[in-house]
Amino acid sequence: MTRTPSLARWLPPLVTLALVVTAWSIVSAADVVRPAYLAPSPLEVWDAFVRANSDHRVGGGVDRVVRGEEGYYLWEHLVVSLQRIGGGLALAILTAIPLGLAMGTIATFGRVVGPYVDFLRSLPPLAYLGFLVAWFGIGDTSKVVLLFLAAFPPIALATLNGVRGVREDQLNAVRSLGASRRQTITTVVLPATLPDILSGLRVAVGFAWTTVVAAELVNGLPGIGGLAYLSGTQNKLALSVACIIVIGLTAIVLDLIIRTLEKKLVPWRGKA
Amino acid sequence: MTHHRSIRPRALVAAAAVTAALGLAACGVGGETQKASADACPFTADASVDTTVRIGYQKIPNGDVVVKDQKILENCLPNATIKWSNFASGGDVVQAFGGKSLDIGLAGSSPSTKALSAPLDLPVSVIWIHDVIGSAESLVVRDGAATDIAGLKGKTIATPFGSTAHFSLLQAIADAGQDPSDYKLVNTEPEQIAPAWSRGDVDAAWIWDPTLSQLTKDGGKVILTSEDTAKAGKPTFDLAIADRAFVKQNPKVLAVWAKAQDYAVKQITSDPDKAAESAAVEIGVSAAEAKKQFKGFTFLDATQQAGSDWLGGTLGKDLFSTAKFLLTQDGIAKVAPESTYADGVDPGPAKAAAGE
Repeated sequence: MTRTPSLARWLPPLVTLALVVTAWSIVSAADVVRPAYLAPSPLEVWDAFVRANSDHRVGGGVDRVVRGEEGYYLWEHLVVSLQRIGGGLALAILTAIPLGLAMGTIATFGRVVGPYVDFLRSLPPLAYLGFLVAWFGIGDTSKVVLLFLAAFPPIALATLNGVRGVREDQLNAVRSLGASRRQTITTVVLPATLPDILSGLRVAVGFAWTTVVAAELVNGLPGIGGLAYLSGTQNKLALSVACIIVIGLTAIVLDLIIRTLEKKLVPWRGKA
Repeated sequence: MTHHRSIRPRALVAAAAVTAALGLAACGVGGETQKASADACPFTADASVDTTVRIGYQKIPNGDVVVKDQKILENCLPNATIKWSNFASGGDVVQAFGGKSLDIGLAGSSPSTKALSAPLDLPVSVIWIHDVIGSAESLVVRDGAATDIAGLKGKTIATPFGSTAHFSLLQAIADAGQDPSDYKLVNTEPEQIAPAWSRGDVDAAWIWDPTLSQLTKDGGKVILTSEDTAKAGKPTFDLAIADRAFVKQNPKVLAVWAKAQDYAVKQITSDPDKAAESAAVEIGVSAAEAKKQFKGFTFLDATQQAGSDWLGGTLGKDLFSTAKFLLTQDGIAKVAPESTYADGVDPGPAKAAAGE
């Protein structure tokens, strides 16, 4: 396969980006959305982004300089949210993979637990956010638990799916060589399931990101989801859009990281 | 038996790598907040207190954000840990009290009454009046739609249901001798009123800033304010509620807290520029805007609050009538006896601060 020259490779996405930004500028300048603050221009969003990442004056003839937004730079809000998501995901990985393996290898267990995982998966996080706040308080615990609950079902179900897809003759092969149940799992089931686990992880990261605003509705500052929500309620739409773009771009980067991991860990994927 | 290269270490490494990548730099970020504009306690500090005080605040231009920005509590309780948490609404603050996550919090008179009524019946007391709401919450009418509340009959009025603004609106309708069912009242979140207004979906709104300023800029005319309904005997407030057990166990904290609030209230009157600067930093508006917004409220110092017109007497009755309003709005399960609301007010800290 010949590699396309880099210009030809990058031109289509660049042209698309330019078109989107141009269309956006035209819409916000055209005054079709009223009041005007509801349609911030790309430039206003950029200004809000820069302001949120720097020390700036309060304005109105006062010299007082404040740090970023709400006392934190935008990247700090992002890092705090990433830590919460990291916590939720780590918990989900540690619990969902064993659970999925157990559900797949022990049929009765799978029949009993399966419906609960399906039930959990279908719940909108906003519906039970109030309970979490009441049980775990307004601190980071309730947020991490919510993100954990969002990330858990996709990983568990993907693991289960992977276990079910393990080829019976491979299992019989190791068993005939005298492998114990534990060895069967570590040498055959887990490697064969890994591609599905990683797919589940990708879905879980996506779920966790879409849940981050909900998680940070209550006392979410610092936090990029909390900032996006707060700025919306204060009619600071430019800052809100800046947060949304940062959230979207970060999601893409996270997805790239997991895809790279996928290539490294399961190079056989799609080549069976 | 030959030991096959197990996948487990690799899988663990993968999981660890993902987790590390996501929770990057688990060491804390920045954390330090903006430089305070004052650095000393304006009265005698109390170094003997070493508890943690968890405070819920809202972005409302009153003494509370002045206290926060000027770090008065941090400076006057140098050995205590003060934790400030921001909330978008009084409902969220009350929810946090339900979860035992706050010791002191700011909520409007409607959510505070909700906290004292069934089914919540929270063990909280009202210990301070941050402000009496005046023109900060007003009825804005589309230009030419009407000049008084009777003229709005059959028209659409937007307001967040269950809020202090909704209470004032219903009060104004009743005071004008009208029936609320003759109006189309729509429940709308504050930030959604301006777009609905510009589309022509609503004719009027009883609302607060920044939406209020937005609507007047967009050709709206203010025909009634919460100051009018307050004068007619149905005032609305932003209140401080506190956990009863905390109040009982920490009289020293409450004494300093009330003194700090008293100091901030006096600063708003005596040095409005300095107070406005702090409010501007906390609320995220310009200092000039914050100074303008102060005018929409009435602020009471500790001596006034302790008097019979406010914490010392009438407030319990105001909460009782708020409860009757909330019952009609399905906001509470039932109105408690009037004594519950009278007992729900604790003028102790205000009296202590006034005694100095």
